[in-house]
Amino acid sequence: MPAAIETEGLSRRFGARLAVDAVSMTVPQRAVYGFLGRNGAGKTTTLKMILGLWRPTAGRVRVCGLDVGRRRMAAARKIGALLEAHGFYGNLTGRENLALTATLLGLGATEIERVLEVVEMRRDAHRKVAGYSLGMRQRLGLARAMLGAPPVLLLDEPTNGLDPDGIADMRRFLKTLPESTGATVLLSSHLLGEIEQTATHVGVVDGGRLVLEGELARLKAELGPELILRTGDGARAASLLLAHGRSPVAAETGLTVALRPGEDADQAAAAITRLLVEGGASVFAIGPRERSLEDIYRRVAGYRSPLAEVA
Amino acid sequence: MLAVLSVELRKLNRSLAALLAVAAPALIGLIAFFSLLRAQHPMPWEKWLQMSAGIWAFFMLPMSVTALTALVAQMEHGPRAWDHLRALPVARWKLYAAKAICVAALVVVMTLLNQLITWSAVSVASALKPAVAPTGVVDVSEVLLLNGKIAAAALLMTSIQLWTALRFSSFVPALALGIGGTFFSVVATSAKQGVFFPWQMPVNMLAGDAWRVETALALGGGLGLVALALAIAHLARREVL
Repeated sequence: MPAAIETEGLSRRFGARLAVDAVSMTVPQRAVYGFLGRNGAGKTTTLKMILGLWRPTAGRVRVCGLDVGRRRMAAARKIGALLEAHGFYGNLTGRENLALTATLLGLGATEIERVLEVVEMRRDAHRKVAGYSLGMRQRLGLARAMLGAPPVLLLDEPTNGLDPDGIADMRRFLKTLPESTGATVLLSSHLLGEIEQTATHVGVVDGGRLVLEGELARLKAELGPELILRTGDGARAASLLLAHGRSPVAAETGLTVALRPGEDADQAAAAITRLLVEGGASVFAIGPRERSLEDIYRRVAGYRSPLAEVA
Repeated sequence: MLAVLSVELRKLNRSLAALLAVAAPALIGLIAFFSLLRAQHPMPWEKWLQMSAGIWAFFMLPMSVTALTALVAQMEHGPRAWDHLRALPVARWKLYAAKAICVAALVVVMTLLNQLITWSAVSVASALKPAVAPTGVVDVSEVLLLNGKIAAAALLMTSIQLWTALRFSSFVPALALGIGGTFFSVVATSAKQGVFFPWQMPVNMLAGDAWRVETALALGGGLGLVALALAIAHLARREVL
């Protein structure tokens, strides 16, 4: 079974600037693939090449095994997209907007009602899009992407403009999509929290290069466990830990200590607590710290202060 | 192709294209109405309709084409719809060809509407002032032939305007081109070289010299078709950045 999306050495140059540099990514079938990167990292350029909107300078893209460069139309039938620029006609209603795309795809009115039902937009479908909120436009965009039930959905920042309830709904919806429809979702975002709660796989792009890719659970497991502790005297605790061969790192909520390979977290917590208490540093709390996507991201993409938006 | 055309028509139907299609010829009709009320002597129908066709071909047609092509292009540029449209499993040339067909068809409709509105306006004015009512009868086939030639000769200008409007996301280049073309067409009306100027080709259909009519028609229509095909091919192939 071919990958839902596969790129090989995909590159795109704009004048002297290499926007995408030899990206080879694989989005497995029925995955929710979170495509991460800061603004300008090359996400949109990659997505546009996957959709056949921009031609690669080098490399190639396959969607469900179909070469986008050679068989764009066949590949386009396999993919539905929600792009940042929605391209809705404000003077038409939501339903009329969907009807235009449905006509171009050769689909009937029942398909329009089906996708409106899925995104719970039937009640507002008779209203002109000009009067829609950004969140409603996002949902309508999602409905349009799902017209004809394509096996691959490409969604660029789908939670943009949604309120907290809308974000939660979208998250639930995207998580269940592969199971309910068999679709694969390529989800581009700069919100680590959203990706972490939704994606089964991630790809991180930085400076135009794909710096990390894999199954999220496996990537987290590979990071190794950590303990987090809060003490009465951070400096004293740090020096005691350093003296005993540990490498504490100051975090917002206390000190983090990486465990040694094969070390049991409970045993290590007990040993560290004993060490600190005997050394005169009171311990308020200690326990294993769950690894997050942010840890993975920081390791591969390099953490810089502007990345507050990523957190 | 029919599906793409039907989508284009549905978009146009809900835009201001219909208003434009009626408003521009209606202005000429208004002039004809008041001209007849001011007239001292009756004129033949042929003259009234030729005068209307002349104003149309000379000024209002180039301006209408400028406005119409800008409107058709801004329907997609405005909401940034190109990425969505171009990502669909539809041959891209069809998207542009559908727009070209709609614009060309609207030019024909407006050209004929101009004559119809003029005829109506002159008829109403004649009822108010029967002494100067037009003489003779309307030679419909002659009217259709002349206006068909005007619409055909406008194809090169339409192609250039449409390409410019679709190529640039801002409406300014297309508008500047259209205003500039019409301006030169108006200020250099009597220039012999006008026959080679796309914005003056339609009005040359009213010229007395046969060679002017034939040259402007061949260039406007023939070269216009070639230009339109090239424009569609170029727009379909280029990347919309």
